[in-house]
Amino acid sequence: MPTSMTTPADHLPLKAANHLTLLLLAQEPTYGVALLDRLEARSGGTIRLNAGSLYRMIAQLVDEGLVEPTGEESSPAGVGAPRKIYGVTELGRAVLRAEAERQAGLLEMARELDLLGEKR
Amino acid sequence: MREPPRLLRHLLRLYPGEHRRAYGAEMWEVVRHRYARAGGGRLARLRLHAEVALDLLGTAFGMWTTTTGRRTMGPIKAGLGGWGLDARFVLRSLRHSPGYALTAVVVLAGAVAVNASVFGFVRGTLLAKPKYPGADRLVVVWGSNTVDGQRRDVLSGPNLIDFGRETTSLEALAAFHVDLTTLTSGEHPEPIDETSVAVDFFRVVPVQAALGRVFDERERNAGGQRSVLLSWSFFRDRLGADPSWVGRSISIEGTPRTIVGVLPERFEFLVPSQVWLPLHDDGLAADNRSRIHYNAVGRLKPGATAADVTRDLSAAMRRVTDRTGMYRNWSVLAEPMHEASVLAVRPILWTVSAAVALVLLIALVNLATLFRIRTLGRADELNVRLALGGGPLRVARVLALEAGGLALAGAVVGLALAGPLLARVRAIVPLYVQIPESAARVPVLRAVLDPGVAAVTAAMAVLGALALTAPGLISAVRRRSAAHGGRSHGTRGIRWLVAAELALATVLCLGAGLTTRSAGKLLGTDVGLEDEGLLTLWFGDAWGMTAPEMVSYYRQVVQAVEEVPGVTSAALIDYIPFEGEDDFEGIEFLDRALQPTERVREEWRRVTEGAFETAGMRVLEGRSFTSEDFEGMPRAAVVNEAFARKHYPGGDAVGRFLNTGNDHYQGLEVVGVVVDVRSRGPASPAPPMLYVPNQGEPRGTVGMYVRVAAGSPMGVVEPVREAIWSVDPSQPIARIFGMSDVVAEWVAIPRAVRTLVSGLAALALLLAAVGVFGVVAYAVRSRTAELGVRLALGASPDRLAREVLLRAVPMVALGLGAGLGAGYLAARGARAVLYGVAPLDPLSMGVAVLAMAGAAIVATWVPARRIAGIDPTAAIRSE
Repeated sequence: MPTSMTTPADHLPLKAANHLTLLLLAQEPTYGVALLDRLEARSGGTIRLNAGSLYRMIAQLVDEGLVEPTGEESSPAGVGAPRKIYGVTELGRAVLRAEAERQAGLLEMARELDLLGEKR
Repeated sequence: MREPPRLLRHLLRLYPGEHRRAYGAEMWEVVRHRYARAGGGRLARLRLHAEVALDLLGTAFGMWTTTTGRRTMGPIKAGLGGWGLDARFVLRSLRHSPGYALTAVVVLAGAVAVNASVFGFVRGTLLAKPKYPGADRLVVVWGSNTVDGQRRDVLSGPNLIDFGRETTSLEALAAFHVDLTTLTSGEHPEPIDETSVAVDFFRVVPVQAALGRVFDERERNAGGQRSVLLSWSFFRDRLGADPSWVGRSISIEGTPRTIVGVLPERFEFLVPSQVWLPLHDDGLAADNRSRIHYNAVGRLKPGATAADVTRDLSAAMRRVTDRTGMYRNWSVLAEPMHEASVLAVRPILWTVSAAVALVLLIALVNLATLFRIRTLGRADELNVRLALGGGPLRVARVLALEAGGLALAGAVVGLALAGPLLARVRAIVPLYVQIPESAARVPVLRAVLDPGVAAVTAAMAVLGALALTAPGLISAVRRRSAAHGGRSHGTRGIRWLVAAELALATVLCLGAGLTTRSAGKLLGTDVGLEDEGLLTLWFGDAWGMTAPEMVSYYRQVVQAVEEVPGVTSAALIDYIPFEGEDDFEGIEFLDRALQPTERVREEWRRVTEGAFETAGMRVLEGRSFTSEDFEGMPRAAVVNEAFARKHYPGGDAVGRFLNTGNDHYQGLEVVGVVVDVRSRGPASPAPPMLYVPNQGEPRGTVGMYVRVAAGSPMGVVEPVREAIWSVDPSQPIARIFGMSDVVAEWVAIPRAVRTLVSGLAALALLLAAVGVFGVVAYAVRSRTAELGVRLALGASPDRLAREVLLRAVPMVALGLGAGLGAGYLAARGARAVLYGVAPLDPLSMGVAVLAMAGAAIVATWVPARRIAGIDPTAAIRSE
């Protein structure tokens, strides 16, 4: 639950792991273990989290109102507590948009400097 | 599928509760997922353990400190913030009353220091246990003669061999004997400490040789090689720690002995010894069964106790009696070895520990008093806090913080002081109390930080804090605010506390008085001989001579010594009194019918002419020995008072006849009775003693008395030594002492008790005075306004001061009365360390009362005097 009303700009810039997590959850809401695997796969192994770090990040995103539990799914063998599915909130989407715009601006600048070598 | 270790699951508990509840189960699922996916290599698994554990630990810690954590932890963090605020408040308020803070810290530090140093010493040295494996299963085995009252006596060789064979409760039993022997390797013969042990000794005390070997089957019976084991100190100091000496030989009592091994540096057994010689089993078995000579040590079988051994071997002793008719009134006593070694110091331990405990108790009561007074004095301020919504819990927290802080400071300062104090305590305890060498080396820090001591110290600090925040504080605050008119009412509880403190201090003062008087009496005890101006020494290794040769040799030596300028006379005796030696012989009374098997055994000494006169012993009845008594077969005997009292209760000892168990001393006529010599120390009664002329069967090693005309006997040591060697330079000389020093050693323990108890009593007196001072000072301060008004109305300051003084009288009287009663009971319990003083000693009681009353008067008078300085107008205005 957000502690106070914030604007998307208050959350910028996003850290790499938080950014990728928001993007993945925006793509498809999912539960912790699956998120972990997808983070690792999508980052090419550069973001490799353990339980503590993963849930510290999730807790932080939930606190900031960017992510919320959207539902539950029973665990595969039907054993243990059902898994919480996390999805992106409206604020989360707004932050992703704002981050994309921020990065687009930066990309623009990089292009002007021809850092990507497109003009050659 | 591989499961993560359970330990990791416990790490989840480190997270803030809210986080754990929200995510704990999922986190565990992730951990399991990681483990399920992990590779199988051992190294990979280790890495995974480390990675996951570090992640959980790190993030858990982070949760408590980061923004997220702070939100989760909101209420707690806010509370912690409050602690900080309170801590600052406490510091500020303590700065405003440095006297109080200092007194509390000093009182607690004193208590902690005394406790840590005394208990540290006791635990670190006196109660230190030997280090070899299974030391707690060693028992010392004694013969006990219930009729003679000899509870701990040595045993005979054949009996020990039988016991070793028949025992069901011991794994092994070994004879040993501690003595002096003569090292004859050097230029001059030199006496050295020696312990002879049966081969089984090294089964009982499993010590490995540092070099070579310990005794084994090769030494079990006589006829093998003549062996010797060296102590590490002998090997280091005499042989330069040169390992090539193992296998070579040294000469002991003129016989070459092969060095078979060197014992480790840290090895020690009851008494330090330089060399170790074997006792052969066949020799022990063939010894005379009536000759009791050996100590014994055994190793318990698993599950057996010393009491089992006592039963087991007493039964074996009864079988000896059945077979031989000997030892009819004997049994066997087995004691854990560790207990046997602290036997001598046990009274000092108990007395001093009790005194320390009392000081601690006083300190705690003192702290409680101090803190109550302070809380009462701060009632207004604390009430304001309550009124502003501080809540009783918050106020209690402030008080607890203050108490905890002071307790911590006191404990730290106390431990710092304990080190130097420990060195002092060590110096007080008499040297001859045999502290194992390793224990004497225990560093101060280790003794003070001994787990037991640390636990007691921590308990002290906690108790101190509890005493400071004694229950009822808050209610005291409330009562105080309700009864705004009668301010001194709040001190009623405190007066009880101070009375208790005075009572405890009185107990200690009484103890100090009694132990001082006791030590004084002991020092003044007539030991039976004139110890001043008397030199004693041991000499001779004349065992190879025949009796007539020895007699002639000894006569020449005595003559040579008597020619030394300054020496008035010299004489010989088997064993010098006060040196812990005893020598028993069977006695048969010729004019009395005894049961044939009931042999009386008493101590006896063989002496040369003039022994009583040289020692300064008075002849009470009959006559002393004369020159004729020293010609031919001995025919005369002299007994001491104790012997005469015990065996001739009719007072007709002189003229009676007796035989001894020694063939050379038969048909002796008692010609005189001499004064008792308290040869077992001034506090012990003199043993019955038979004196006989030495020429019947002299000993090869004898003690010598040398009387000097004037000055210290130590002044003639060199010429006396030269005189002895002028007759035969190959004879060893040992243990040269002034007799008064030897006697003083016996009083060392009571003196140490006196010093320690007196020191503690002084501390207690001071603490109690601080308590009284606190109460009266508070009473004066809280009545300032009232006293000011009365001064303004014309009351004289003297009268008011008298009034304040009188109010303290019931408190002091109650404390003194209760203290004297409790002190009497305590003294009755501690009679073992008192000598010649009744627990109800009027002088000690008088001194205790005077000291306590004096301290109380000073402690009351100082604050009462302040009344004269009260400015009436200022006092009224302040209200």
